[in-house]
Amino acid sequence: MGLNQTAYDAIVVGSGVTGGWAAKELTEAGLETLVLEAGRAIDPATDYVEHEPSWSFRYRGLGDRQSLARRQAVQRTCYACDEAASKFFVDDLDNPYSVPDGKPFLWIRGRQVGGRSIMWARQSYRLSDLDFEANARDGHGTDWPIRYDDIAPWYDHVERFAGISGERLGLAQLPDSQFLPPMPLNCAEQFVKEGIERAFGGERVMTIGRAAVLTQDHSGRAACHYCGPCHRGCITRSYFSSLTATLPAAEATGRLTLRPASVVAEILYDAGTDRARGVRVIDAVTHEEMEFRGRVVFVCASALESTRLLLNSTSTRFPAGLGNSSGELGRNLMDHTMRAGASGIVPGLADRDAYGRRPNGVYIPRFRNVTAQHPDFLRGYGFQGGAGRSGWSRGASMPGFGADFKHALREPGPWAMRLGGFGECLPRPSNYVEIDQDTKDTWGVPTLCIHCEWSDNERAMLQDMAVTAAEMLEAAGVRDVEPYIQDSPPGLTIHEMGTARMGRDPRTSVLNGYNQCHDVPNVFVTDGAAMVSSACQNPSLTYMALTARACAHAIDLLNRREL
Amino acid sequence: MRRRDVVRAFATGLAVPTIDALTPDRMWAAARAIHDRIRARQDEALLVLTEHQNAMVRALAELIIPETDTPGATAARVNRFVDVMLAEWLDANEREAFLRGLVALDARSVNTFGTPFLGLDEGQQAVLLHGLDAELAALRQADLSTEEHFFQHMKWLTLYGYYTSEVGATQELQQVIAPGRYDPCGPVRREASGQWD
Repeated sequence: MGLNQTAYDAIVVGSGVTGGWAAKELTEAGLETLVLEAGRAIDPATDYVEHEPSWSFRYRGLGDRQSLARRQAVQRTCYACDEAASKFFVDDLDNPYSVPDGKPFLWIRGRQVGGRSIMWARQSYRLSDLDFEANARDGHGTDWPIRYDDIAPWYDHVERFAGISGERLGLAQLPDSQFLPPMPLNCAEQFVKEGIERAFGGERVMTIGRAAVLTQDHSGRAACHYCGPCHRGCITRSYFSSLTATLPAAEATGRLTLRPASVVAEILYDAGTDRARGVRVIDAVTHEEMEFRGRVVFVCASALESTRLLLNSTSTRFPAGLGNSSGELGRNLMDHTMRAGASGIVPGLADRDAYGRRPNGVYIPRFRNVTAQHPDFLRGYGFQGGAGRSGWSRGASMPGFGADFKHALREPGPWAMRLGGFGECLPRPSNYVEIDQDTKDTWGVPTLCIHCEWSDNERAMLQDMAVTAAEMLEAAGVRDVEPYIQDSPPGLTIHEMGTARMGRDPRTSVLNGYNQCHDVPNVFVTDGAAMVSSACQNPSLTYMALTARACAHAIDLLNRREL
Repeated sequence: MRRRDVVRAFATGLAVPTIDALTPDRMWAAARAIHDRIRARQDEALLVLTEHQNAMVRALAELIIPETDTPGATAARVNRFVDVMLAEWLDANEREAFLRGLVALDARSVNTFGTPFLGLDEGQQAVLLHGLDAELAALRQADLSTEEHFFQHMKWLTLYGYYTSEVGATQELQQVIAPGRYDPCGPVRREASGQWD
């Protein structure tokens, strides 16, 4: 095994939303930082194809169905894994994992510089003390070691750089961000918003989604030009990704070394110093093994990849995985529930339509279990959705053909409004991952077996989502309201989190209140793995804030020579 | 890999054109180069369809989306799109079912008019299509699936192939790749900015 003689101040595993932030914060503080990314480098000039028209694709955007079925049977279940963007999702044959019979878990992954921050849906919401106190309040999971006041300045910090557009509401359960101007609601959404406010007063409110998409030029990045398919990339850098925001900032310091095609197989533990001394890497192309040394290691590989790496890093001191003296590593896997809600037809507004493809929808902040306790379930959910007029595709289920048919399809269809809930998932130890030693990936790294299923609490919440969505649409005057509950397995919301939870007590948690490993203090895990509860908000913004906060703590400890 | 190499690899990753240069016109010009490459490939031989089947698909597609004040399915080469989808996208059993649908249509044509489909005049062809379309409507009326019906596939492939073609997207839909702004409540306009499909 080759040992790279360069000793870095910091090693960051992963280059996605959290790895990018770690790179930026650590290099800007003066640390020579090595970022290791398992996947390939991405060149936006050639890899981003958001402006290529439909007819430039062989299957017109539908994707190579036979190839997807063969090589990306899991990844293709994600809406964004289309003909233009499937290259940003892993090959499932190279990257296997297993699940027990009857417990599907869809693990959607991106391995490239930028990670999933290239294809993410950009919705960005703060957690509040309603969330940070939830476990302590109802006894599920362990208490968060932090409260809103601990993280609020770090939300400010990452939001000012990332650029979050949204509307100030002043709600305690969904604190406002440092906002860029909000995108507007379209006229049908405005109609529904006013109806909901008439019927539910201030208890239920609708606002535009809070999105990491620029509504004005910001930090050298251009305002959105409303082309639409963000998951294919953005040449104008109008949405936040590590590839086009944090990594360039890190590179500008002159202290970043980024190595793509670097599969980190193990964090190396040094018994003499009781610290991690570095990482063992397998070159993704040559399969050559090498070792890199660093004074501090930030694990930012995505929730389940980070936990997999820790579980695979065994030693005499840590036979069950690095930092796993508590036995909690791998436990309390969570994701958000989705695909329950309602839809209907907004009357009127026949002569009105929206122009431009707004990369954002509406949001209805959590209103359940905010003040009064619901009899059927704990925690809560928020709604996302939007209104639009259908185009030519409705012709497939419309009678007719010929000139009249063609010309009828020139008129947009009626305004359809849809709301879909995103629900909190309780932390439960029975949802867990473990290493399957018998199944290795293409690089010989043992893979995960994922055990995850929804509980009665999540199912009860889905029922309520369908009811409340329908009653809000009805109250607003929407017609033909149809509630729905579809089966959506865990994983597919792509908010998988937990499995290396933070906590105050080293006996019941893996990380402390600064995302620092209780057992091995120079190892930090700052992605979704650290989450103690799931809340119901899209989580990436919280991962960014936790990462920046953990970096500041690590820098402080390094400066005081305490690491 | 030496640090120098790593940095170079990364620098490539940052080769982002300057934002000022990316006017919608420039984006469009860049896209045109790709269109030209795609067009150059279009005169390849048929992959699955026989000449007879190809002619039937072309006639059916043009009946569904005819030339009016804008070009129709033939100009959009919908038949070639159908050929590619049959060859590479659909499963073997789906492909066979579609091709059997063409045979059945010819049989129906002979039964009704004494001539295969391509021998009919447009009015007679339309009579047969009305029959197929009425069968779809009856299925929908009875809340039954239309998935197995030949004409459902033919209609979908025609619509998809037409509106995602260069002719359909630029002349019929007048699609704008980069609208540049979001107007939440404007007038209905021909220039379409709806989702890509």
